Amino acid sequence: MRKNVRSDKKINMVKFQRSLFRIIRQMKKEFLLLLTDKFNMLLAIVVPPLVIFLFGFMMNSIPEGIHPVDCVVISYDSNVYIDEGTFNESLRDDFTLPYVNAANKSEYLNLIHFYNATEEIYAMESARMMLLASDIKVIISLPVGFSEFITLGLPGLIDCIPDASDIKTIQDNLNAVFDSVKTFVNDNNLTPQFQLTGYEEFTIPEGYSFRFNYNITLTLSFIVFGVSMVLTILVVVQEKPVARLLLTPAKRSEILISKYLTYTLILIIQVILLIISTLVCRLYLAGSILDLFIALFTIGFTGLSMGIFISTQSKTKTEANQLFFAVFIVILLLSGIFIPIDAMPIYLQVIAYILPLSHGDPMIRGIVTKGKSVFGFDFFALLILSIILVLISFIIFKRRKYEV
Amino acid sequence: MVESSTEIMVDVNNLNVIFDKNHIIHDVSFKVKKGEIIGLFGISGAGKTTIIRVLTCQIEKKNWSGNVTVTNFSPDKKQNHPLILHNIGYVPQLELLNLYYELSPLANVEVFSSTYGLDTKEAKKIAQELFKILDIPSDTWNKRVKHMSGGEKKRLSMAIGLIHKPSVLFLDEPTTGVDASKRYSILSYLKKLNQKLDTTMFIITHDLEAALICDKTAILREGRMLEFDSPQNLINSLPSNGLVARFEINDLNEAKITRISEFSPVKKVLRVGNEVVEILMESFEENLPKLIQYMIERGVTVNSMSRDSASFRRFFQIRIQEEEEREKLKKNIGEA
Repeated sequence: MRKNVRSDKKINMVKFQRSLFRIIRQMKKEFLLLLTDKFNMLLAIVVPPLVIFLFGFMMNSIPEGIHPVDCVVISYDSNVYIDEGTFNESLRDDFTLPYVNAANKSEYLNLIHFYNATEEIYAMESARMMLLASDIKVIISLPVGFSEFITLGLPGLIDCIPDASDIKTIQDNLNAVFDSVKTFVNDNNLTPQFQLTGYEEFTIPEGYSFRFNYNITLTLSFIVFGVSMVLTILVVVQEKPVARLLLTPAKRSEILISKYLTYTLILIIQVILLIISTLVCRLYLAGSILDLFIALFTIGFTGLSMGIFISTQSKTKTEANQLFFAVFIVILLLSGIFIPIDAMPIYLQVIAYILPLSHGDPMIRGIVTKGKSVFGFDFFALLILSIILVLISFIIFKRRKYEV
Repeated sequence: MVESSTEIMVDVNNLNVIFDKNHIIHDVSFKVKKGEIIGLFGISGAGKTTIIRVLTCQIEKKNWSGNVTVTNFSPDKKQNHPLILHNIGYVPQLELLNLYYELSPLANVEVFSSTYGLDTKEAKKIAQELFKILDIPSDTWNKRVKHMSGGEKKRLSMAIGLIHKPSVLFLDEPTTGVDASKRYSILSYLKKLNQKLDTTMFIITHDLEAALICDKTAILREGRMLEFDSPQNLINSLPSNGLVARFEINDLNEAKITRISEFSPVKKVLRVGNEVVEILMESFEENLPKLIQYMIERGVTVNSMSRDSASFRRFFQIRIQEEEEREKLKKNIGEA
């Protein structure tokens, strides 16, 4: 009995060794095939760091300093004010000019024109024409009762109409207006209703580009996910001799494992190169490099699993390419780049949270800007997604019919 | 010819293959001894590839029945598949299914040999031996396969199939897509490999010339095995051991062919050209002068005449024709 158990163990060990030998040799083949494909090699090793360098150069070469936002101020202020004690009537617009002065003083705003709407009835129309002609980026409107509210100790309201045709600059324009409000509050010894100051822990230290830091997170997720996916979408479908390999003692699982391992090694090299290139481009990393490595690897592995999944279930190269395009577009649209995921209809939110890039960017952002640990919801979501994709790929590949 | 041993490498008894109620193979039985070259002949749809797929573990057991063993293992048990696959080699019809065109011949050897557990050194040694037999030039061994000529790729594909020294090698249409001049050289390479390595070979082909190197030939039609014997024995089974008289006849037409067929010793008249017929008859030597006399008397003008031995091609043609006629007759009786 014992002898049998021992010999069974021995047989299993021999089987395992043979299987390992075959996997290693198949990996060698995968590497050789990759080496012969110059375009794929370029895509795997050269393109990712090159994109980062290009991105870094682009972000870091934008001249630092202030680019004032062109604006006009329209005042509807000047209410008739009746003193409750004396019943004297007076016009209240004593905070209009101080605000205009503050807007003039702010280095973030370039006041092109001031309209007093009580005298120029077409002030708003004129300002809108300027906005339409791109002569200004924002209209600042002081509403009726602006001075009265402040005098009474109530919050002074300011209307802002930014040029919404360029979504990227809206926030910058509003920030510039906010600076003028700060100046106005300080110069007139007013108590602001809200104190808006940057959180210290998100601050990028002197010498680092905040633009690069804030934008690189999305770029990193995209590159590592996209390249891994592109590299693997054809690995199974374009390998014609697979059917013949299946007429040898090689097992289907060994063939697929060797592909996963090969492209995982490529992914590791890719992630290391990406991290080095981002650090060279002066990334301020609030979290740890190990966390960033694990995060990028996880995103890349999800891309790899998705690529191999597409490859195993496609019958032709064209089918794989078309499927890749369709999947990638959906992933991109629902990744939260264009519309925040929380703002989507609930059924789209469900789909978005299944897709990998919806987790990639928040995970990297958390590590880079907030110093968070990688092991959060996004990491585990990606991990589960990868495992599911790997399992499905194995099942499809195992059931796929090959004929020589 | 290598003297065949008695060791049975492939044993097929009452093989039936059914796919979705379509009966593809009907009661096929044959035995193949070690070192033999077997040719499976038949027109498209005869079932050649299906039989090979059963033998190479490509068809699930639920689709076939019968007793089949390959190198003493039955493909009906899944646990036997690795053992069978270890003992057989396969050379597909298209080289691109057997070779990585972007890799060198030696790298290809390494890929396939490793699946059998051979280490690189050993595999390279075997490969070089095979490359020499197959005249694959040494300057191509380390270049990419895609730069090799069609013939070299074909030979490399054979070498890959033999890299682990299999007991049985299956070749699917080895001469298809090869120029007529090179077909014979491919066949002679196969014979050479068979003689040097004593490998049992199974050739599936449309190319009836392949029978030249076969020890045994199987003729299949619509999933049924019509014949299984050596080509010579099959030819000898024809009237007068396959002796044929070839006549060139002026204005040959169906009426003249029918007239010739009416001469009682004539067993078969085959039209093999515009004005050429081949005639098989009983007691050839004795009846040939009588036949000529008969033809002259009935106004059939003979321009020239020669005598020959029937080829396997002719036997195949006759056998398939007979089968078709038999089926037609059956159908007519059925309709009546």
